[in-house]
Amino acid sequence: MHSESAMRQALREWVLGKATDLDPAELTGTTALFEERHLRSLHVPELLLLLERLRGEPVDVEDLRAGDFRDIDTLMAKFGPVRTSL
Amino acid sequence: MTVTVPAGLSSIGLRWYESGQSGLDGPLLRLAQECDRAFQALASIWGAQEERHPAALPAERLQRLDYLHSFPSQASFPARLDPAHLTEFLAAEPVTAAGEVALTPLAPVSSVLTPAACYHLYYGHEGQSFTAPLFLTTANTCFRNEERYEPLRRQWSFTMREIVCLGTHAETVNYLEQARAAVDEFLALAELPVTWPAATDPFFQPRTNPRYLMQRLQPSKHEATYGGDLAIASVNLHYDHFGAAFGLRRDGQAVNTACLAFGIERWLYALTDRHGLDPASWPPLVEAAATVARRRAGHVPTPPTPPTPPAVGGPSPAPPTPPAAQEDRR
Repeated sequence: MHSESAMRQALREWVLGKATDLDPAELTGTTALFEERHLRSLHVPELLLLLERLRGEPVDVEDLRAGDFRDIDTLMAKFGPVRTSL
Repeated sequence: MTVTVPAGLSSIGLRWYESGQSGLDGPLLRLAQECDRAFQALASIWGAQEERHPAALPAERLQRLDYLHSFPSQASFPARLDPAHLTEFLAAEPVTAAGEVALTPLAPVSSVLTPAACYHLYYGHEGQSFTAPLFLTTANTCFRNEERYEPLRRQWSFTMREIVCLGTHAETVNYLEQARAAVDEFLALAELPVTWPAATDPFFQPRTNPRYLMQRLQPSKHEATYGGDLAIASVNLHYDHFGAAFGLRRDGQAVNTACLAFGIERWLYALTDRHGLDPASWPPLVEAAATVARRRAGHVPTPPTPPTPPAVGGPSPAPPTPPAAQEDRR
């Protein structure tokens, strides 16, 4: 499992690799990846596999909800490493 | 598997076939006809133009939508014997004791029996450009292969009426809002309670299908569901999936589409379940739909206009785009 910062960076690099017209400076945690058409439905299965690899466990597609893939912040909140308190 | 037909439904005109098909006569047939007239009255809210289409679609056109990858288990094909082997076919008994046709080689299969009525509308207008929203309606017998069948609720062949909008994204979203409101008004007059949950289509191998995953992440289909589990109508936002596949253009861009669909046999089940088997207790559906149409006549912002013809040289569809690259929904 990747750390939160490493996972966020990996997601960011992956998005920029797909959205070649997107200026890296404009990609923030709240950039709407699909609504703004930076990503298309074609990319969803690959993004799902990437999330599973980064978090180190499978994602149950039946648990996916509207907006879960909206932006990087949402992806991190939904699929990122679980924070444990001391 | 033998399916038991409720005796009450048989008494009012339902014939059930083990192939997963039904026949109608008497009161139930009249109710089916009234349902369709009511849906046509709802279509008049948008001035939708009626079209009639054949029983099958060219497989190549349907596959532009990735249909056979997405729903291979549901597809049914019209098959013909290869003329070169007819003598061989006639040399044996054509139908076995088990009721199966003793097939000899088949002619190439290049069509698919209609799986949804609205596919014909997009294919039928291939290559056209529009300057205003276009509203169309059509009904067809649709075929979907299933693991099990249930009279009126889940059939291999059934009747679907659809009302479709081809326009901009905003126009299609607005249309679906109006359509759902009109159906709700109609259902209230028909005293048929439903809920409208978000739904997904029965994709084969859904986990790897981008269209299924997008349906979960951006719900684009809602079903009017009777009794908790019977979808009798649906509203579907397709984005530019069909527009891109069939070269339908609006202001230089692929047109967006949306549809309102009714499954008529399921309405027969819901109406008789709710109101009983006596036709005297059934709601006046055409009258109810006409009331809704009158009420909503002033709510439709833009009247439909005919499309402009294709550019000189005939239809010029855009090159097929990989369906998964489009925002989608059938």
